[in-house]
Amino acid sequence: MSEAEAKNLCTGVRDQLALLLYGELSFDEEEIVETHLDTCAECRVALTRQRELHVAFDRLQVEPPPSLLRECRAALGSQWVGAPAMPAPREGWWDKLVHLITGQGPLGSGSAGHGFSGFLRPAGALTLIAVGFLGARLVPTFSTGSLSLGTMGLTEGSAAHVRNVETGADGRLHIMVDETSQKVISGGLEDQQIRAMLLAAARDSTDPGVRAETVELLTAQAASGDVREVLIGALRHDQNAGVRLKALQGLKQFAKDPLVRRTFAEVLLSDGNPGVRTQAIDLLTQGAGSNVDHDLVGAFQELMMKENNPYVREKCQSVLASWNASSEIY
Amino acid sequence: MALNPGVELDESALIRAAQAGDQDAFARLVRAYDQNVLRLAMNLLRSPEDARDVYQEAFLRVYRNLHSFRFDCSFHTWLYRIVTNLCLDQLRKRKVRKEESSVVLTPEGPLDRMDAVQEDRVDGNPQRNLFSGELPTKINGVLEQLTPRERMVFELRHYQGLRLRNIGEALGTTEEAAKNCLFRATQKMRAALGDFV
Repeated sequence: MSEAEAKNLCTGVRDQLALLLYGELSFDEEEIVETHLDTCAECRVALTRQRELHVAFDRLQVEPPPSLLRECRAALGSQWVGAPAMPAPREGWWDKLVHLITGQGPLGSGSAGHGFSGFLRPAGALTLIAVGFLGARLVPTFSTGSLSLGTMGLTEGSAAHVRNVETGADGRLHIMVDETSQKVISGGLEDQQIRAMLLAAARDSTDPGVRAETVELLTAQAASGDVREVLIGALRHDQNAGVRLKALQGLKQFAKDPLVRRTFAEVLLSDGNPGVRTQAIDLLTQGAGSNVDHDLVGAFQELMMKENNPYVREKCQSVLASWNASSEIY
Repeated sequence: MALNPGVELDESALIRAAQAGDQDAFARLVRAYDQNVLRLAMNLLRSPEDARDVYQEAFLRVYRNLHSFRFDCSFHTWLYRIVTNLCLDQLRKRKVRKEESSVVLTPEGPLDRMDAVQEDRVDGNPQRNLFSGELPTKINGVLEQLTPRERMVFELRHYQGLRLRNIGEALGTTEEAAKNCLFRATQKMRAALGDFV
């Protein structure tokens, strides 16, 4: 390789060093750069300098002050309450036809729409029936062939699961169906059956929305040991951060209870969600003022060692400072 | 800012709930991302007022348009598309007004980005230490000289840790175009700062 070619190669490699550090070179580009670096001391120095430059960039990052974040959240909350509601999905042609004929606006719009009025409405309704009847008669082949619950002979509100399909000697299909029926149980929170179902749902429901709602409902009964146990279990083990936050709120009133307090300290160090950790700090320190909780100092210092979230770090640091405790473990 | 699969699953449920009008779900979505949005806006715009405006406008746009989100890209990408557009608009206005300053006015008082840099390297080379003291000012000057797009791509890659593929999606361009943009930005910075490191 001539001197000019070698120089060109060095220039080309140095151009790529930043992208190399970002891990954004293609396999082939990286191969060329790495191979060259193995043999060129000057380019290795250039790589070291590029790394130092990246460190200098890192140090220029500004963290928004927690007070600004709080302000933004508060202002946003007040704005979206006043903002127009999320628009409903656009109506299809059928919806428009139905609304035109029936004179009803879209669901939830609260408007009467601009359809036929007065005596024309019965005529419109008849037209709809006629369209439906003719549609069913004339275009049966357009249907997807799927069976409705009614045609399957299954009661409404049942969930069907096909267990087995066989073709009989007569050529007819025999489908074995598991049928799970649903029912509605009504009652107050004090009702033992309702309460047992809520406790089970908070623990076992696969739907995080149901678990969150249930945990929130159970908060009113958190004075009971069994409910508190479920809330503690949800706070410790639920996969969904929203459910854990609800459980945390539910346990707020028992923040002085030793078991609840221990659980808060545990989630402070182990929960993956910074929102949960932040709330845990608030609950563990509420009403403490500058009184030092010696049992907690170690937990907060341990948190400082591993906490990556700047907001949580700042809160933690400020608690330790208020206790005149060091931010580090020596 | 990458979320693990479990969180993504929860996120889909949250988005659907928010689309159905659940305000609590929307609040939780906001909480999941708002710190990063504010950090991005603050670092790019360097003014808490402008960062606050971008924050408000971005989440209000999300609120108004969430019904049209169809899961054909990640929510993160969709949100960043909104935020980066708002920040780019601000940066372009800035380019015209030339009002960049290294001093950020925070509710706690003025904060100079330069003060965030602590020069703790002692390598026995007085000339390099002298340069180190000037380096933050120089970096800031170079950042101001980047085009808004170069600045945005650099910010998203270096500070937000987004991959070029995601940056391309957020900016409505290709990964290759984002890579070229980052390449230009890093070239400009190397050319201007090469002697300082």
